[in-house]
Amino acid sequence: MSRLTAIGTVLPGWSDGKRRVVGLDEDAVTLGVAAARVVLEKAGTVPVDRVVFVSHDLPLLEGGNAAPLLAGIGLDESVVVVEQVGGAPAVLDAVAGALPGTLVIAADLLPAGAGAVLVGETGPELSVEGRVVRSMPTQSRAADGIVREYDDPRLLWEQGVRRSIEQLELTERPTVVAGLAAKQARQVCSGTPPELPVIGGAAAVFALAAIADPGGALVLAVEQANITAARVDGVPTVASVAPEVRPLPRTRTTPGPDIAISLAAYDRAFEPKLRWEAGSCDACGTLALPPRLRCLECGSEEGWSLVPLPRTGEVYTGVTVHVPVPGLPTPYSLVIVQLDDVDVRALVKVTGVEAGAMQIGDRGTLVFRRISTRTGIPDYGYAFLPEADVEAAQHREEASA
Amino acid sequence: MRRVAVVGAGMTPFREHFGLGIKDLVPMAVSEMAAHVDKGLDRSDIEAAWFGELSTTDGFPSGILADTCGLLDIPVTRVENACATGNDAVRNATYAVGSGAVDVALVVGADKVRESSTRTTFWEWAGMTRDSAWDYPLGLIAPANFALHVARYLHESPATREHMAMVAVKNHRHALPNPKAQLRFEITIEQVLAAPTVVEPFGLLDCTPQSDGAAALLLVAEDVVDRYTDRPVWVRGVGLGLDRVMHQHKRDMTSFPPTVKAARAAYAMAGIGPSDIDVAEVHDCFSGVEMISYEDLGFAERFGAHKLLEAGETSIGGRLPVNPSGGLKAKGHPPGATGVAQCVELFEQLRGEAANQVDNARMGLAHNVGGPTAVSAVTVLGIGKD
Repeated sequence: MSRLTAIGTVLPGWSDGKRRVVGLDEDAVTLGVAAARVVLEKAGTVPVDRVVFVSHDLPLLEGGNAAPLLAGIGLDESVVVVEQVGGAPAVLDAVAGALPGTLVIAADLLPAGAGAVLVGETGPELSVEGRVVRSMPTQSRAADGIVREYDDPRLLWEQGVRRSIEQLELTERPTVVAGLAAKQARQVCSGTPPELPVIGGAAAVFALAAIADPGGALVLAVEQANITAARVDGVPTVASVAPEVRPLPRTRTTPGPDIAISLAAYDRAFEPKLRWEAGSCDACGTLALPPRLRCLECGSEEGWSLVPLPRTGEVYTGVTVHVPVPGLPTPYSLVIVQLDDVDVRALVKVTGVEAGAMQIGDRGTLVFRRISTRTGIPDYGYAFLPEADVEAAQHREEASA
Repeated sequence: MRRVAVVGAGMTPFREHFGLGIKDLVPMAVSEMAAHVDKGLDRSDIEAAWFGELSTTDGFPSGILADTCGLLDIPVTRVENACATGNDAVRNATYAVGSGAVDVALVVGADKVRESSTRTTFWEWAGMTRDSAWDYPLGLIAPANFALHVARYLHESPATREHMAMVAVKNHRHALPNPKAQLRFEITIEQVLAAPTVVEPFGLLDCTPQSDGAAALLLVAEDVVDRYTDRPVWVRGVGLGLDRVMHQHKRDMTSFPPTVKAARAAYAMAGIGPSDIDVAEVHDCFSGVEMISYEDLGFAERFGAHKLLEAGETSIGGRLPVNPSGGLKAKGHPPGATGVAQCVELFEQLRGEAANQVDNARMGLAHNVGGPTAVSAVTVLGIGKD
């Protein structure tokens, strides 16, 4: 049994014509960070000492994704991170088994969306009603990363999903199902179940976020023939970010050499770059981005300390690169942003809008994104999200218990 | 400091020299320079050389100069100062001659941008001038680097893209008679505005081509100048200026402070002001950069550069012709060679021998800015000693 203190969900604003998809500067980590920040902002000051990150699309399989995840969320680097490959049942299991102070994050890429559940001392209770684990790998992805389909949806439905549900021996029909297409979910549920925007691990979080009956709900999480059933005894507190969906802009990718990476430079920049922090001169307090040995203002070389930077600002100047460049999709826009309330500017890429859809004087926020991938290494940092898009993003459907 | 004279100048054509390596271009430029020394040059007179090369394509630059030019018994120093490399090589040689350390110094500048594929060049060159963790992964290619300035300049000043196009049109027209120029064809404002966008606000015709080439100068002390010519051109002033490297640390991006500093130093050394300049070779890697530079060099009031273009003052026949050679825009831009070649042009202009001659040119200025907009070098050459 665990308590759902708050839930956050995030959807990217792009579509491939059929489904929501991530932008070129997003991945499971950036989506997970976005969802985690939404739920932590909603929950206020609730301590987090453990993160469980569930996805089928973990960017790095060696070395892990914990450091960028914690830096992007703004959690201390001593927080335990468990990274797990899994779908909706794995997420529901992780939530059910979590101790207070655990943040369970799930991120899907196709369709794209992410959710985060903060398990704490308050909120409705979630308890597992039943669990079935059976092998029906109609879609498989092994270590080679290649997705293979065993093209027999009726086999999966009849012999996989339905048989596993029968084995659960539920006393009532669920009100919401994660991991099934809407048509199948309707056949399984009582009444008309909410349609969920994703079907992977994040679907379990969207299912919990969709609970509207004060009496609670029976939630089913399905992945192939694996199913977890859980009961929630109330309506959770939810914060959602769901920008209007637009077609993913067409870009051109040119073959050629990638931009090289220096891991020594990557390492030196990591904390300020991924936590959005400046060096504050210990002698005079002048902020420097990036931090530097010698103070920009007073010339002190005595030392500096990292301090958080504002995440809002205004475009001082900006340009859009149209010419094809190897290894980077074009066009893309770059801006120098004057941050609010501090004497700091930052040179960053623009995100969330078509290239060129910004001008000098535009306001916006700095958001965690994958700036580039260099020799296979994801390179995270911050990008500028123009305000028009921020407003769209803030069409938040909020419900509280 | 002793007075320093330029007594010889030469350069290869600027273009895509696929068939020639740096080991060919460097000796070709030096030989052309030597052939144009009025009273001849005995190479054994050369006591030291400075070699401006930004990126090396065939190995160790100083050694290549010594080896390929038959100068194995003198010291050779490579100068690398981003796009200010060429004029900084001139500055270093000037100090050596002026100080009395040597009487005869060779200055060479060369680069071979087209030794790499057009696309590879973006990252090779950006890698030399960008912060590896913060700027490089953003895709801050060279045009973007300058476009960040020009976009803000267009925002604050009355200048428009049409004025930028006027720079490109003028410099293409100036390049027509120049046999060394890479782009010898006229263009129209309409063509510039309609060209494919490279990085807003730069279209393809606002941008310098990628070039290969080499240029050479012979600098000698006043004491020995008569051995080489009766018509020397004098190095009247040199200056170098720097600025914060990262764009976010530049307070006012409508100006290039390195240029202001370099020009101030060069004018002061020459004992002149901007109004004394009769002809200038100004860094125009991208059309808008020439406009900002008019103001930084003191040729125009702040945000007044467009007026010079509207009045045709910087065209041949105008009050202060700028880039009679075609500039970087049309003559070409092999970075290490660029500044040296600007001085080759001024040498010819001041002696009345230029392909695109400016009438009565007595004082000339050469200017580079680069790296990313954090360094500038300015050289002032004149007919008169004082």
